[in-house]
Amino acid sequence: MTDAVVEVRDLRKTFRVSERQEGLAATLRSFVRRQRRDINAVAGITFGIEAGEVVGFLGPNGAGKTTTLKMLSGLLYPTGGEARVLGFVPWRRENAYLQQMTLLMGNRTQLVWDIPAADSFRVLQEIYRVPEDSFRKTVGELTELLELQELVHKPVRNLSLGERMKVEFAAGLIQSPRVAFLDEPTIGLDISMQVRIRRFVAEYNRRTGATILLTSHYMDDVVALCKRVIVIHHGQLLYDGPLADLAERMAPFKVIVATLHDGAAADLSVYGTVVARDEGRITLKVDRQIAPERAARLVNDLGDRLTDISVEDPPIEEVIDRVFSGERVGTAP
Amino acid sequence: MIDVYRALFVGQIQAASQYRVQSILWMLFAVIRPVIFLAAWVAVAGAQGGRVGSYDVRDFAAYYVALSLVANLATSWNSYEFEFEIRMGRLSPKLLRPLHPIHYAVVENIVWKMTTIIPMLIVLSFIAATFDARFRSTSAHLALFVPSVVLGAALAFLAGWVVATTAFWTTRVHAVATLWDRAAFIFAGQIAPLALLPGPLQTIALVLPFGYMLGVPAEILQGAVDVPTAIVLISVQAVWVVIFYALLQVVWRVGVRQYTGVGA
Repeated sequence: MTDAVVEVRDLRKTFRVSERQEGLAATLRSFVRRQRRDINAVAGITFGIEAGEVVGFLGPNGAGKTTTLKMLSGLLYPTGGEARVLGFVPWRRENAYLQQMTLLMGNRTQLVWDIPAADSFRVLQEIYRVPEDSFRKTVGELTELLELQELVHKPVRNLSLGERMKVEFAAGLIQSPRVAFLDEPTIGLDISMQVRIRRFVAEYNRRTGATILLTSHYMDDVVALCKRVIVIHHGQLLYDGPLADLAERMAPFKVIVATLHDGAAADLSVYGTVVARDEGRITLKVDRQIAPERAARLVNDLGDRLTDISVEDPPIEEVIDRVFSGERVGTAP
Repeated sequence: MIDVYRALFVGQIQAASQYRVQSILWMLFAVIRPVIFLAAWVAVAGAQGGRVGSYDVRDFAAYYVALSLVANLATSWNSYEFEFEIRMGRLSPKLLRPLHPIHYAVVENIVWKMTTIIPMLIVLSFIAATFDARFRSTSAHLALFVPSVVLGAALAFLAGWVVATTAFWTTRVHAVATLWDRAAFIFAGQIAPLALLPGPLQTIALVLPFGYMLGVPAEILQGAVDVPTAIVLISVQAVWVVIFYALLQVVWRVGVRQYTGVGA
């Protein structure tokens, strides 16, 4: 294995679940004899993450993202394969490892509901044995970055979801972890709170050089934070590389948007597949290789009728959606 | 570790202070059952000319007052809490901190006992006065009561955790915990003082761990056993504590591997 901060080789996790049909008879039968089925949540994935990287971990619900994060943080024992984080085998849960790592789950709380966060921070300070001066410095920075001044002295149960999430972030970072696993850190938050959390994660990574692996269903999180993404589906790795190349690899077409004076009447189907038409604004899907040539022809042929034209990668959501729906090799004329 | 405990105590006391009324109600609820048994035994004794075995009405009063106090100091509800924590995914963050989750439970337990002990003593004094309880304990008994109740609490707590750990396999520990509590109800001295259990049941009670959680400290406080017997009983308590401590180490290690982070 390399010197990477996170090293994963052929990691697997199989869950055994009991199943039964609906209805009383099936319920009674299940008392006597249980039907069990193995689910390969993670079916052998291999990757590495270097120090200071922010990597987006993408996949549809049930792809195995959270299971992988749980194994890497030490919560779950794998069924097979190897992993090392900061040189530790995570599921041994050695204190030396736990002190340098955090797992933040957007939909879970780790603070004590009935007391103000500031008091929970003190408890965490002792648990993680953070010296007083570093504690003050870290809390000061987190308070500033996350704008927590007003929030830390209220009982956690009196905070709104967004406020609580910010405080949860601070609580998860009291020990200044070198590795952070973030599972849906912006789930359920409004747009402005999402933007703040995103900005915070980027700034935190810049200031501390922490390595971050995050999952999110909001592609904006990924676009804003991750240069690199790892895509998994059905527990298997589909793509690992720069976010910028994902569209190129996974969607072999570009989108040309042409705006015409008299667009409502124009027929541009000879240049590519018309996928949308909004008054004079026409969106075409064109094979990646020939996109520049088609755009040039459009400019040439339409001349003054054209008021605007752009050639873009398809929206990242669309790329991901295609990957997950099995349409990886999108065809275009 | 002392600093960790100090911080946990401060946090837990603050949390408990939010639920003072609830704590008192729970405490009163816990006293009702022994009082009912006390009333029942008083009636039985009354019908039999004032005595049942070696116990008269005033002995019963002393026993059930002592048992209520011990139950308050030595009972632990962690198996129920633990199931909730697993189902709601609250255990996960605790498992990922460099502190064994049992320490939070130790502190919760002690804080609960601290917050309820004063009202408990007031209620028990009232009951003792009403039923004219007679304690036969000497100062030696009172001195021995301290280690006995501490060992009883440790034993109930560790055993509770062993039961709770079955939640790693079943996720539903309620049934197991209820079964355990029913056994404790008979064999821990709640239904009757251990000395009054019919022969075979008494033998079983002395072999099982339940009586060493509640009945033994209560009898020592009441002065129902002589000092040498008390010392033997306390030694047996210590042995049970060691056994359950070792058992917990094993089941925890195996159970935590089973843990699937349900709902987490």
